[in-house]
Amino acid sequence: MAQETVIEVKNLTKMYGNHVGVKDLSFTVNEGEIMGFLGPNGAGKTTTIRCCLALLAKTAGEITIFGLDSHRDAVEIRKKTGYLPGEFGLIPSVKVKSYLKYLLSLHGCGSTEKMLSLSEQLQLDLDRKTNELSKGNKLKVGIVQSLMTDEDLIILDEPSGLDPLMQQEFYRILRREKKHGKTIFMSSHNLAEVESICNRVAIIRKGQLVVVEDIQVLQEKTGKVLEVEFRDPFTIDEFDFAGVSSIHQDDGRLILTIHENLDSVIKAVSNHQILTMNLKTYSLERLFLKYYAEEEANERGDT
Amino acid sequence: MFGKIAFMELKTGWKGLLTFSLLALILSAGIPLIFPTYRDSIIEQLEGASKVHIDLPEEQGGIITLSWEPLKAATSYMVLQDNRLSMVTPSIKYIGNATSITFEKDFEEKRYYAIMAVIDETSDPVLIGITATEKGEDPFQELLKNPAYAGLTGGRNISMLEVKGFVALEYYSWSWMLTGLYIAYLSVSLIASDFENKRMDVMFSTPISRRRYLLEKFTAMSAIALVIILVQIAGLTWGLASISALNEFSANAVLLSLVGSLPFLMTIAAVGIATAVLFQKGRTGMGITFAFVFAEFFLYTFGGFSKSLEWMKTISIFKYWDYFSVIIDGLFKTGDFLILALLAIALIIVTTRLFQKKDIPT
Repeated sequence: MAQETVIEVKNLTKMYGNHVGVKDLSFTVNEGEIMGFLGPNGAGKTTTIRCCLALLAKTAGEITIFGLDSHRDAVEIRKKTGYLPGEFGLIPSVKVKSYLKYLLSLHGCGSTEKMLSLSEQLQLDLDRKTNELSKGNKLKVGIVQSLMTDEDLIILDEPSGLDPLMQQEFYRILRREKKHGKTIFMSSHNLAEVESICNRVAIIRKGQLVVVEDIQVLQEKTGKVLEVEFRDPFTIDEFDFAGVSSIHQDDGRLILTIHENLDSVIKAVSNHQILTMNLKTYSLERLFLKYYAEEEANERGDT
Repeated sequence: MFGKIAFMELKTGWKGLLTFSLLALILSAGIPLIFPTYRDSIIEQLEGASKVHIDLPEEQGGIITLSWEPLKAATSYMVLQDNRLSMVTPSIKYIGNATSITFEKDFEEKRYYAIMAVIDETSDPVLIGITATEKGEDPFQELLKNPAYAGLTGGRNISMLEVKGFVALEYYSWSWMLTGLYIAYLSVSLIASDFENKRMDVMFSTPISRRRYLLEKFTAMSAIALVIILVQIAGLTWGLASISALNEFSANAVLLSLVGSLPFLMTIAAVGIATAVLFQKGRTGMGITFAFVFAEFFLYTFGGFSKSLEWMKTISIFKYWDYFSVIIDGLFKTGDFLILALLAIALIIVTTRLFQKKDIPT
């Protein structure tokens, strides 16, 4: 099925004076997917999102959303977009319910049904005053307001910070939204989050795009990580097979990455007495660290 | 539907507006109430002048005779001399027991003499009266010839002994400071607090354009200005009615003179909104807007100092709220009203253009 492009960012550059916000960034977000936008703090994720929503002027490049120009047609785009900012404040001294109703009215949305059901799922007390909310509850208000108008596109800027149970509930809500055909574009520096709910991911660093990949393909490319703790001594050489990389010892544990030859590795492991063993998907965190280590090594080599 | 943002501002800010309105009500109702007491005390003071008599020579170099009614309790008398009515730089002309002195008129300028009675060594001398070497007027009318006052009144002959003059000078000529600065403060904070408290991102994730946002904030400010003006009108009319002065200072004059301040306050609000959009910080915006209001006031008063400085008045917003014209001449200047209203709207249009190009900081 040919997917339609919802967001198309083409050669986006945003400068803050002499400081680069993002540089020559290009990627697309397709209809009906959850696209992760991953990068460390200060990589340019928020800048990109805020350029998409015309909160920031572009220095160069083009952004189209639903085929509309991000800046010229900003109001039209916002009619079909829900947005959770990374940082936001609420109007103080009003009840959460009247604040959310106010935002609904600004959206021109008459129905409070979804607002009420989302609040219930996230256990958000609508009768509390906005200035009496904890950080987590404030985030819930942000999440509810981004989803309550039932828009086709949902942009979330680092939507983490809920307690673990609520975070899982939030992911369930996002998956359901996706099932209903919504397109979700979310930035994060939380790799587990992106891995657990995104279809694709764009990785950004220092304002430049590193890679855009399907999560599955990325995981296949990067392999599995094996961590074993033995009762008896071992040497690294025992596990040096073709298709195995990054073999090292860390605090008496063996850690290695397996791309192929899983069978040989497991057999070699079984020659020892095993205390604990853990085989997991190569985490994006490691990918990140690995990528940066390479980058920095290259940079050092250049200078 | 237009008005939701403006309504939200009124909904969340009503307590502050109510407090300010109460203050404005007390002041506007209270000032006329002071008038009768004030007038009576002044008349009493002026009566003192009849207790002092001055004989002036026909020609320069002749003899001046200054005499006054004796005061029983007085142990001696003191005559102070100054060339200003305010008597802030007097010199002692005479100390002694006489109730009449003579001296040569060896000067040309107008001089004032204050005769004081010394009662005893421990208490302050008592003023018997003031007289001058030229025919005197109501001392306050002389005060009004001072360029600073003449600038304010447009050179009109205003008597503090009439309720019109009293209210115009004691209420109108400073109430702008109260209402103008409140509007300046509020208009800046209405926008700057959205920046500072990071409310802009959520606002502009809704299909509200930046133009509409500013227009609604401006509408809210205009509505607040109107509320304050209506409170002032009610207070002042009530105050005037309580001293039965509405036949001298009509309710219609109160209404028109204060409604004339609406575009004046709207212009201040527009400047406040503009500085908040440009600097995105409350403190900076308020500093600049307050400075703007005072600068405009000084331009207006300096403009009254001389003919060559009159252009300064033209660029001051104070020129276009001519409450003296309504109160004294009975003339409401529709042209001035429109000029300020258009200026406020023009400022908002320019601010909108600037805002549309500006980044919203995180």
